Amino acid sequence: MRPVLIAFTLLIIQASSCKTAYQPQSLQYKDYRISSSQPGDSVLLSVIKPYSDSVNMSMNNVIGIAEKSLEKKIPECTLGNFMADAFFSMANEKFRTKVDVAFMNFGGIRLTQLPAGNVTRGKIFELMPFDNVLLLQKMKGTVLQQLLDHIAGRGGWPVSGMTMQIKDKKAVNVLIGGKPLDPEAIYTTANSDFVANGGDDAAMLRTIPQINIGYLMRDALFDYIGKLKSQGKNITANEENRVTNAQ
Amino acid sequence: MLSRKKFIQQTALSAGAMLAGPSLLEAAEYLLPQKLTILHTNDVHSRLEAFPMDGGRNQGMGGVAARAALIEQIRKEEENVLLLDAGDIFQGTPYFNLYKGEPEIKAMSAMRYDACTIGNHDFDGGLENLATQLHNHANFPMLVSNYDFTGTPMENKTVPYKIFTKGRLKIGMLGVGIEMLGLVPDNLSAGTKYYDPVEKANEMAERLKKDMKCDMIICLSHLGYQYKGSNKVSDEILAKETSNIDLIIGGHTHTFLDNPVTIKNKKGDDVVVNQVGWAGIILGRLDFEFSKFSGKKMANSRSISVTKKSGE
Repeated sequence: MRPVLIAFTLLIIQASSCKTAYQPQSLQYKDYRISSSQPGDSVLLSVIKPYSDSVNMSMNNVIGIAEKSLEKKIPECTLGNFMADAFFSMANEKFRTKVDVAFMNFGGIRLTQLPAGNVTRGKIFELMPFDNVLLLQKMKGTVLQQLLDHIAGRGGWPVSGMTMQIKDKKAVNVLIGGKPLDPEAIYTTANSDFVANGGDDAAMLRTIPQINIGYLMRDALFDYIGKLKSQGKNITANEENRVTNAQ
Repeated sequence: MLSRKKFIQQTALSAGAMLAGPSLLEAAEYLLPQKLTILHTNDVHSRLEAFPMDGGRNQGMGGVAARAALIEQIRKEEENVLLLDAGDIFQGTPYFNLYKGEPEIKAMSAMRYDACTIGNHDFDGGLENLATQLHNHANFPMLVSNYDFTGTPMENKTVPYKIFTKGRLKIGMLGVGIEMLGLVPDNLSAGTKYYDPVEKANEMAERLKKDMKCDMIICLSHLGYQYKGSNKVSDEILAKETSNIDLIIGGHTHTFLDNPVTIKNKKGDDVVVNQVGWAGIILGRLDFEFSKFSGKKMANSRSISVTKKSGE
């Protein structure tokens, strides 16, 4: 007992003389996967129920079928190609103009995957939750090259109507409608208002006039899926070397 | 390690039987460890319900009901719990398109979140909407140290820091948001001024540590974990260039870290950084044990023992 008492007395002296703050001495980490197979809290279920009833009623209808799982990745991906194709096709139709290129900014693809099978209305809201509009901008080949370099510097975005390679963070071997980019030509591009207003640091687009008919990009996806359906086609896209990294 | 802890406990008990008075209490406080459990999410993006069972890779994952049940279980087992979110509460499911964030904030209040910070997508319904949702439905503060909302609908709707008392611990907490230029459309953030998060975090953390004598400083951050090949400010840079932050709970880059990362700060002390992906798929749990006994920082005494138990 005696040595313990001495040690303890020493500690009291130490404690009184030096009022140190608490310091973290150890850390344990654990991550929990949250899953609907686990029991749900009844309070939370009642909090969201009035909302979920109406969300599920308006969002659970099936609007199309994905032939395969479409994926999100850089420099090119099936999910992005599908979206860019939708914007290319619907921009040509809705603006009654020949559009040369359509873009989908990579960060604006809000699902990492569109699973194969039934696609609900809600799924398209998750893929494109923003109320962004699809608009047109006419720009010189030199400015388009700047935009493509910017896209290359960010690892590549989905495109439709063109192909390019990424080399040293620049766009090279650019083909627009199968022809090499002409610095002096005027190109009509379809893009989101988010990017056209300088979003994702696309500052070179800020001053270019916009042709805006208030057409939501999400509506363009719905319309495109409906158009495919009327042609007896499902939702699909392939990777076809639209954007590749130069070796 | 275990024997030392046992020895200390036994010493305190046996000595307590013989001694009395304030010095004993002081010594007991000095000797007994304090636990703190931090639970956290980020970038939940309106994922109130689990992903649907549609064959996708995240099917069945997430959802506030299962998260709340787990949190309540942990609160039953642990005395000192802080529940935190690092921003991008809004946008990503039709709930936000239809209700503009109301059920998201209500759910967080029902789960008794202690604090959150602001994400770039929390601007998506505009400043007026965010102010309304917080004012009407939040019972927790939004911490933002590096935005100035003066003259906007968000004025006085956020606080730069908050001090939490948990057991005998005093926890100082601040929050930093990402630069809006080129990310948040001008019309959604109009009038909001952005300040360098490193500078503001350093200022705030120093006040919390030195003037307000906090034992631990936590920074909620929506800066993003890291930007390779770029000097864009991130949690990695924030950790390296600050002096008093102990823990950064991050978001924005949707990074699933296998384990928290430890980074040396300006003074050579350890800063723990963590982020748990997105959509409420994962709840992170950090259990800290504090003591006044060694007077040393974690990294100088015991190394961090990090155990990963996925699938629980």
